[in-house]
Amino acid sequence: MADNHATASEPKRRHRVEGPKKHIISFIFSIVLTAIAFALVMSGEMNTMFIYIMLIAMAVGQVFIQMAFWMHMKDRGHMYSIIGIISGVFVVFTMVIMALYWVWW
Amino acid sequence: MSELSHVDGQLPHEPEKATLEGRNKVLGFWLFLGGEVVLFGTLFSVYLALRDQILDGPTPQELFSLPLVAIATLILLTSSLTSVFAIQAMHRNNRTALINWLIVTVILGFGFLGLEIYEFMHYAHMGHEFSTSAFSTSFYTLVGFHGAHVAFGVLWISLLIAQLFKKGLTVVTAPKVYVAGLYWHFVDVVWVFIFSVVYLMGKVG
Repeated sequence: MADNHATASEPKRRHRVEGPKKHIISFIFSIVLTAIAFALVMSGEMNTMFIYIMLIAMAVGQVFIQMAFWMHMKDRGHMYSIIGIISGVFVVFTMVIMALYWVWW
Repeated sequence: MSELSHVDGQLPHEPEKATLEGRNKVLGFWLFLGGEVVLFGTLFSVYLALRDQILDGPTPQELFSLPLVAIATLILLTSSLTSVFAIQAMHRNNRTALINWLIVTVILGFGFLGLEIYEFMHYAHMGHEFSTSAFSTSFYTLVGFHGAHVAFGVLWISLLIAQLFKKGLTVVTAPKVYVAGLYWHFVDVVWVFIFSVVYLMGKVG
């Protein structure tokens, strides 16, 4: 992988030790999004379709933050990881759409 | 610090990426996670297709208790954060902190498993058994597969802790810890979709 040559050829480049701040912010974001999702369902007075869409949006938002920061996907050298996960997600999309719209036709 | 500094006894700054073997492990693990996405995606799609087929069994609204799910979510989310702290301790080359954070992660994983076992026993008591209906079978398969992943992760991380005690933090053990951390985050990511799609949507109807 290309970036390995970069680290080998710049031996004096100092590594910045990453602090816990970003990760704690990601954690708080996840907690808040989870709390909103639970509150939406517990209040129970809204349109079902609206709640469904909001729940999926909260879940996707939270997972995006966790994958970017906790799983380091935002860091460089993760192109193949992103390709791997996106191909998986592509299969999942087709499966879920099939299950929702074709099975009970 | 150069990437070869471990030769003279020093650990490089990102020990999980210092060797080709380590980098290949991380890359291969990501491809495995892509496959895991497909595994859970198919289980989710089966659940979504069958979740209204409850026959004589209890409905999701009767079964699910949101406070219990909220506690389980909080436990798993916190354990994901503690495994981040473990990897950060590894990057600081602090083996004691690494082992301690991994132990906290394992304890939280056991807490989650305990709640899930209690939950399943409670459901079975309410007449929601594995073969009650298509809904119950697809529910137990999906949530049970996730629980099995948590159980496997707890076992895996425990063995890594033992290995860290025995062999210390080296360029050989570091990729293993990093990859186990990725796995643990992935298990948490799957749970986010389980509590949203299975429990919260089930409660809405």
